Amino acid sequence: MTAPRFARPRTLDEALALLAADPEGWTPVHGGTDLLVRMRMGMAAPRGLLDLTGIPGFGDIRVEDGQVVIGAGATHAALAADERVRTHAPALARAAGLIGSPAIRNRGTLGGNLANASPAADTVPPLFVVGAEVALRGPDGVRWVPIEDFASGPGRTVRGATDLVVAVRFPAQGREVRSAFERLGTRKALAISKVSVAVAARVEADGTLREVRVALGAVAPTVIRARETEGVLEGAVWGGEVARAACDAVRREARPITDLRAGEAYRREMCGVLLERAVATIVDGSRS
Amino acid sequence: MKQLPEDLVSIRLTVNGVVRSLDVHPGETLLEVLRGRLRLTGTKRGCEVGECGACTVVLDGRAVNSCLVLAVQADGAEVLTVEGLAREGALHPLQRAFLEHGAVQCGFCTPGMLMSAHALLAQDPSPTPDAVRRAIAGNLCRCTGYQAIVDAVLAAAGEANSS
Repeated sequence: MTAPRFARPRTLDEALALLAADPEGWTPVHGGTDLLVRMRMGMAAPRGLLDLTGIPGFGDIRVEDGQVVIGAGATHAALAADERVRTHAPALARAAGLIGSPAIRNRGTLGGNLANASPAADTVPPLFVVGAEVALRGPDGVRWVPIEDFASGPGRTVRGATDLVVAVRFPAQGREVRSAFERLGTRKALAISKVSVAVAARVEADGTLREVRVALGAVAPTVIRARETEGVLEGAVWGGEVARAACDAVRREARPITDLRAGEAYRREMCGVLLERAVATIVDGSRS
Repeated sequence: MKQLPEDLVSIRLTVNGVVRSLDVHPGETLLEVLRGRLRLTGTKRGCEVGECGACTVVLDGRAVNSCLVLAVQADGAEVLTVEGLAREGALHPLQRAFLEHGAVQCGFCTPGMLMSAHALLAQDPSPTPDAVRRAIAGNLCRCTGYQAIVDAVLAAAGEANSS
């Protein structure tokens, strides 16, 4: 593969300066698990590779001011293993642990998964339901973008040509608000999701669901919230009629297409199945 | 690391304990450098898109697909390939276990399997069978049906723990 130029800046400022000077001339790369595949397949031909792996602390995870802040360079393996992520966003830890294979998870990063903007990106539905924001840093400083506004279509985001994705944050809500993630692929490893569902909710002592959020992956041009489904579940106790109504709602809200990975009808049906699994995980977890 | 004329980049990495300095193209992968420049052809070239695991090496202690790592990104890193497993002519316990359990058939996946297993045992010396299966989930084998490989990794772990 060819790439005419390469830079491995040692600071974020240096990386941003290079990008600002020649926005079209550099393609940011970190783990390379998406970009190198696209280069190999002739779908990407960067004029220069801006390697972000040399920036110390770019993948750090910390909790500050009631927020979990994850550096864009955090690998999927790091997310899956991190106690703070597992506590405050179990759906994200689970999704990160299901991506690709161990070797992919050791290289691929959260920032890369977001910037790549696949509708099937597994980290995104969990970030939707925990109310995450994405930090874009450019020459004029940092702006935080709600995750729901970040991807604008398949492979497209609101990241400007001189911006880098530098971090993701979400409230450190502890185990009070629980979240779960379910996905379906052709097999357990190295399979892009055909459908994925993330759910977050607080479960009251009597089983009533509060602050319910549901997000769906791979069934629309971007990850989407399933607000009608959330409305059915909000203030309700899971089971029987509620479960049936919620599954009906989520199947209505999904807007899947038929492609090489799955058919439209199958995807729609599976939204209901995965919703049941995810909510059951949350409700069962609240009893333990 | 300095940028050379003709867009070559000087890198220095440690491969199987030996420091190597070489000038590489920015688009060259670690796999290409290992096989083409260093003639370490034990690491296999399979799908080249991260789906088969034949090119798995251990980079700074972690299993990676060397087809998806740019050689320039390995500057300063430590790389372990299948050639680095045997010591003074004696096979590594994992290699011996693979042979004893019939975990090698055509052999193409074997180096990658060994390196994934090696990375696993470094982090988890007493893995469960499920942990072994998860560790090799990114390594395709079209001959063995995997069971012999899982048995071999568990046997090597047991041997290391009992000695």
